[in-house]
Amino acid sequence: MEAASVAQRSGQGAELAGKYLTFSLGQEGYGVGILSVREIIGVMEITAVPHTPAYIKGVINLRGKVIPVLDLRLKFNMSHKEYDERTCVIVVEVQGQAAPMQVGMVVDSVSEVLNIVAGEIEPPPSLGSSSETENIMGMAKVKGEVKILLDVDRVVGEGLLQQLSS
Amino acid sequence: MPVAHKTLSDLLDEVALKILMIEPGDLSIVGELLDLIDKLLPGNAAAEIPMVIQRMAVAFKGALEKIIMGELSDSAENYDLLGQCVVEMQESARKGGQPGEKIIERFCFNLQQIGVALQPSVLLGLTGVDSAAPEKDAAEDETGAEEECAVASAQIDSVQAQGVAAVGPTQEALPDFLQDTDLLAGFIEEAFEHLESIEVNVLELEQSPDDLEIINNIFRPFHTIKGVSGFLNLKTINRLAHATENLLDDVRNGQRSMDSAVIDIVLTVGDALKSMVVDIKGVLQNGPANYQDPDISGFLADITRLQEGEIGPMPGDSAVLSAPDFSPEVFEPEETEVVASEEPATAAPSMPIVARAAQGGVFPGAVQSQISPAARPVVDSGMKKFGASIKVDVEKLDALVNAVGELVIMQSLVRQNRLVSRIADAKLTKDFSQLTRITSELQRTAMSMRMVPIKQTFDKMIRLIRDLAKKSGKKVDLIMEGAETEIDRNMVESIYDPLVHMMRNSVDHGISSPADREKCGKPETGKVSLRAYQKGGSMMIEIEDDGEGLNTLKIRKKAIERGLVGESDNLSDFELNNLVFLPGFSTADRITDVSGRGVGMDVVKKAVEKLRGKVEVQSQPGKGSLFMIRLPLTLAIIDGIIVRVGSERYIIPTIAIQESVHPERKNYSTVHGRGENLMVRGELVPIIRLYEIFSVPSTYTDPCDAIVVVVENEGRRRALMVDELLGKEEVVIKNLGGLDVPGVAGGTILGDGRVGLILDLAGVIADRAD
Repeated sequence: MEAASVAQRSGQGAELAGKYLTFSLGQEGYGVGILSVREIIGVMEITAVPHTPAYIKGVINLRGKVIPVLDLRLKFNMSHKEYDERTCVIVVEVQGQAAPMQVGMVVDSVSEVLNIVAGEIEPPPSLGSSSETENIMGMAKVKGEVKILLDVDRVVGEGLLQQLSS
Repeated sequence: MPVAHKTLSDLLDEVALKILMIEPGDLSIVGELLDLIDKLLPGNAAAEIPMVIQRMAVAFKGALEKIIMGELSDSAENYDLLGQCVVEMQESARKGGQPGEKIIERFCFNLQQIGVALQPSVLLGLTGVDSAAPEKDAAEDETGAEEECAVASAQIDSVQAQGVAAVGPTQEALPDFLQDTDLLAGFIEEAFEHLESIEVNVLELEQSPDDLEIINNIFRPFHTIKGVSGFLNLKTINRLAHATENLLDDVRNGQRSMDSAVIDIVLTVGDALKSMVVDIKGVLQNGPANYQDPDISGFLADITRLQEGEIGPMPGDSAVLSAPDFSPEVFEPEETEVVASEEPATAAPSMPIVARAAQGGVFPGAVQSQISPAARPVVDSGMKKFGASIKVDVEKLDALVNAVGELVIMQSLVRQNRLVSRIADAKLTKDFSQLTRITSELQRTAMSMRMVPIKQTFDKMIRLIRDLAKKSGKKVDLIMEGAETEIDRNMVESIYDPLVHMMRNSVDHGISSPADREKCGKPETGKVSLRAYQKGGSMMIEIEDDGEGLNTLKIRKKAIERGLVGESDNLSDFELNNLVFLPGFSTADRITDVSGRGVGMDVVKKAVEKLRGKVEVQSQPGKGSLFMIRLPLTLAIIDGIIVRVGSERYIIPTIAIQESVHPERKNYSTVHGRGENLMVRGELVPIIRLYEIFSVPSTYTDPCDAIVVVVENEGRRRALMVDELLGKEEVVIKNLGGLDVPGVAGGTILGDGRVGLILDLAGVIADRAD
């Protein structure tokens, strides 16, 4: 029983191991798989879109392409923070309904790219049936710090879908 | 919930449109219909699609397949019945997957009429779907479908007999297929694509011989080629494709395995078809003088042999068959002769591939992949010669248009740069204006690349009208005007289906029989006009007939029955006539005279609205109807007025704007202190405060300080309250990258590089109505 769960855990860890772009929201460190990151841009003027949840800040012009931008703090029900010069928009590509789509995520600041190995990854904590943990693929302990590894397709894809059906 | 149902109703709309397009004898569209239905089947369908509809789809597909297989008659009556089945599926979808017993019963009844036994309990899930399928088959053999089956199978037999018996070239097809050179050219292009795909799929099949999907991918191109060539009277190609398709169908049904013998024949036939198409292209370019119909009897005999179970080696080529997988037939002396006999007939550059391979000393055992490279250049050189146009991926074109739009914006940003604009240099100013000229020229060209004349679509109507008239015993003249009007390439395909629906309406229901027309004092030949022209920034398509017109009384009665209008509602004739575009106003029960296969006109309206267009009907009883479709010239650009609300800017489509006014206090009134109205030219127009529905802070909150823009959408006028008008601009429409918001049609990039939102007036007005 014990052995099985360890095996399962390390199996999952191996699957998740790889390079992550890490960033911070408040005191917390997060990571997203580097393969889904398209680019990182400074925060620019965002055109608000009506009839959308508060965490969808609106749309921006990314070199001729209009892409939605959402505020991860608001998405995770954290307090709002004024944007400053460290605020960044991480543009990620996720699976849309028909084709892949690009979405911007506003974060407090971008930290670094980390190579996270299987041994450092643990399964997400079980916080009851909170929908928040669904977004989390795992927790990584790197250099004494905990990074929350996000499932971008869940966070962003689901966020938009929710908005669509509202 | 809305997401799922939107896709379902969209799918069903597509199905409805497709079923309208089917003509008996043309199975290619039935194939497309099958593909659509596949999306509704259990396993493929989105989980949200109600089970009952999935089960209906299974039954529906069963009926379609029987028609394709010739077990049921390929007749207009059957398609009419299927059309009604679709209407019942639509109805069920509208009821959220809870159709009443009545709908279920009607659905089953319609299918029974066609010859598919189906119990309502199956649809309701009381019996397993899977176990029901064989039951259906068994039941059907006993029921009244026999008569139809007999007819159909007799037809098939005769086709096959003809095929097998065909000895020597048939000549009669020659002049027929040259009637429609435009369509023919299209077919040639398509056929090459299809044949290429057959080859690719066959090679894939080698890797995984049991993959049904790949077999289907091989089946479909033959099916399409068969359908289109039949339509174009290319009898030889049609016959060969048909025979091969039959063989593949056996494979699909598991009656035989996809062994090397089948693969061989598929590849050989593919090559033969390719060279026939090359020949036809030669005819198209050099005239029919030296065209000779190729002899396909060898192929047909081989196929029949295979079908009859003679899988073993054919006399004389056992050595060839021992070569593992690839086309032994190609190298059979007999076959080579067959193909080579075409050679004199072929235009010089397009020498038949197979023949050349044989002459060039490629020996048995040489594999297909060696032939293919040789084959491609032949085909390619032929393609280049034909026409001075190239095919470009629409995505590439869109990328170009995007990039050019970006270029224009960047240019104006540079120009407006404070430092740059301070430079007073004559040369710089001159260069800038030159640059502007070039970029706008570039933009125009990029845009025009997406435009094509609507002629091709119109031309297809000639045949449609002729066939319809012939079938219904009516006399109809089709008058076309403005076929050279250009339309966005992306719209051409989407407008075709609705146009067919409306043309069909005009002939089926608008124009009456010659005798009836005489009685009314009209010339016995009816007139249907199809017009296209540009009006302002729009493309107009009009379909006018001098038939009976819509019966407003019947429409009214039906509308009241359906609860669409109240008994006491006072509607103008115009409003009543346009009720036919409402969903659920279909005429499955033949109450009104506007229908096609029982599919409602709402599918037309939806298809047109998807293109950001409008459709209206004007009708005078006894004199005729006029259907008007208004479409934007292009889907890429919208002509709009930019307005400011607080710090946000929105674009209102100019097409909808009637005027803008600075309201005076005396024209402003409220109803019960809530509903605000403005008197504009003697008419009360409800005011919509844009800042309110979009929840943005605005400069003015008193309409008399602000500006109102009077807009009209679907006959409803509204006064939109905004802070300021900023100007008029043609803007490139972009989607909001996955956001789909009521009241917003899309976004665009404004002169300063920021995103502005384009208003969707229907959404804005609906928002307010709630």
